[in-house]
Amino acid sequence: MPDAPDRIEAPGAPVCAPGSAMPGTVIPTTVDQFLNWFREGSIWYLLFATACCGIELMQAGGPRTDMDRFGAVFRTSPRQSDLLIVAGTITYKMADRVRLIYAQMAEPRYVIAMGSCASCGGLFQRGYSVVPGVDSIVPVDLYLPGCPPRPEALNDAILKLQQLIRKEPWLRQVRGKA
Amino acid sequence: MTGADLAARITAAIPDAVVAVEESPTDPVVQVRPEVLHAVAAFARQDLGMETLRLITAIDRPPETIDVVWHCLSMPQHRTLTLKTRLPRENPVVATVSDLWDAANWFEREQFDLVGVHFVGHPNLKRLLMPEDWVGHPLRKDYQRPEEYHGIPTARDRVVPVREVAPPMHGPKAAEQDGWMLLNMGPHHPATHGVLNFLLQTDGEIVRKATPDVGYLHRGIEKIAEMNTYAGTMPYTDRVDYLGGMATNQAWAMACERLLGVEVPRRGEFLRVIAVELNRIASHLIGTGSLAMDLGAFTPFVHWLREREYINDLMERICGARLTYTYMRIGGVARDIDRETLDRTLQWLDHFEPMLGEFDRLIGSNEIFVNRLANIAVMPAEAAMSFSLVGPNLRGSGVRWDLRRDEPYSVYPELEFDVPVGRGFRGTVGDAYDRFMVRMLEMQESARILRQAIARIPDGEFRAKVPRVLKPPAREAYGRVEAPRGEAGFYVVSNGTERPERVRIRTGCFTAMPAIESLSPGLMVADIIALIGSLDVIAPEVDR
Repeated sequence: MPDAPDRIEAPGAPVCAPGSAMPGTVIPTTVDQFLNWFREGSIWYLLFATACCGIELMQAGGPRTDMDRFGAVFRTSPRQSDLLIVAGTITYKMADRVRLIYAQMAEPRYVIAMGSCASCGGLFQRGYSVVPGVDSIVPVDLYLPGCPPRPEALNDAILKLQQLIRKEPWLRQVRGKA
Repeated sequence: MTGADLAARITAAIPDAVVAVEESPTDPVVQVRPEVLHAVAAFARQDLGMETLRLITAIDRPPETIDVVWHCLSMPQHRTLTLKTRLPRENPVVATVSDLWDAANWFEREQFDLVGVHFVGHPNLKRLLMPEDWVGHPLRKDYQRPEEYHGIPTARDRVVPVREVAPPMHGPKAAEQDGWMLLNMGPHHPATHGVLNFLLQTDGEIVRKATPDVGYLHRGIEKIAEMNTYAGTMPYTDRVDYLGGMATNQAWAMACERLLGVEVPRRGEFLRVIAVELNRIASHLIGTGSLAMDLGAFTPFVHWLREREYINDLMERICGARLTYTYMRIGGVARDIDRETLDRTLQWLDHFEPMLGEFDRLIGSNEIFVNRLANIAVMPAEAAMSFSLVGPNLRGSGVRWDLRRDEPYSVYPELEFDVPVGRGFRGTVGDAYDRFMVRMLEMQESARILRQAIARIPDGEFRAKVPRVLKPPAREAYGRVEAPRGEAGFYVVSNGTERPERVRIRTGCFTAMPAIESLSPGLMVADIIALIGSLDVIAPEVDR
């Protein structure tokens, strides 16, 4: 991925051009950065809880961790979601459904493999029925270790994903390819 | 009644049926000839009053035999009977008992799927947990894991992360059939509590039949436990029931302690009770809260999530983990609970008990909520026992059966608590509202138990001295406890080595799923949500 132009010091918070005649009204930026600013602030994730991690995913949406603060709210339909948080073990019987759910999501779409099971099969690697990592089925952007990860860790993953989105040359490359 | 008495009664009715008798203080075993198994089971059901079938287990014992074990229970008489039979390994065939007990239907399908025992006369002997095109029976000792399944490698070191997603293997399942609309609900559905799948046959809004399809979270814990040591299986028991990990921990610890003959110190037992009861409240918070959320009330759920965070903090102080505790050890618990944690627990109880009343005002007495649940999906007591429902689902039908009281273990006999049962609080006994209300009342009782246990906790050791390498003699034990979702049990067969021969997990949700199928005809689609929510089924308990 090529480096994004680094004009904005604190991305996501557009600053006023120095010495501007109309302070607070002009924002020097690029279209990519401007669009990404919106995209990173409204990551809607799919409520896709398969196992134990799903409970921590629920708690992460709850009052203490409150992922709403970062614009991340849960949706129940893949068609409205930008982010698939695979929270829990995926079995061979489930694998096909994960593909189907991913295929139903509109681009741009991102995947977080939450917890050891989704990342690599975890504790259940030796089991005969468990997919050893969801990255063998769908492309994964972020791996989040833990069994299960704490809600704070999930929050951090969302922030990391925001950094990822911030650097995407969305208008020039990603969208053109899609 | 001892095993010899039971064997004598069976012999009187069916001559030459009994092969051997094994005495045991909890579960006397009667071994019978396979040809007369159905007759003996029918006798046990009708004349010995065994109206509940707890578990069916098949044990692969190469090179010659497969053992099949039926655990039967009579709740009114407080009596158990364990039937065992020995089948040839090349051709394991035995008669079905699904005509006697409703619960046997799924138990037999599961054992057919995993061990490959054929139950003759079963109405629908198909794979239950594994995909239909799976080859082999995984719990056979000589089972070899395939290299890949539909292009997905089975070992992590052969995984190449994909960049593009492959097209789905199978098309959607739903199709029209006999003119009725078929509707797939799940395995990804916000109201099914994890990866449960129901195939609904609908006539407009009315459901003609809901057929559960499970196995989407079958992780093969029973097989992994056979590869592990006794102590090494403890972390897996958390994940059998992630909302009630303490109870499944305790069930596993109890089964191993019975195998080894270990006594738990009194302080250890009190610490276990405190941990389990806190966990029970945490689990019922999710159970009742998510029921409200499924019915469209989001606020109560968020309130309960807040309360649950307090319990998670306490759990972190107790064992260091928020969800997957692994707190119990064989012979006691992992570490002591300090005085400050106990004080904080009492403080939290002072805050929490009034919250129960507030929750009742917020949602329990809410007219819409009551109308969504009252008189919906009524489960009569007889049927509940035949389906082997356990825990709050059984007590919701008015059956006063709680292992803490009826098969006393740990220090529960010293503590004072009630066993709330469904009384038709807003409608009929055994309806969805009763099951909800039983959970609410149980949280109150758990708070009572917690206060007593904290007040009376003795000083002393919290863990017995247990050797580092555990090699129990070849025998079997069944440890069962009252978990938040009913009976959590581990039936463990040892063979004298460090690793168990067979581990069988009994959970409450596995028997609740087929009950949904029988309760569903005639309900509205929206009532199916209320039914699933009121039974509090979660996927890992069903699939394990």
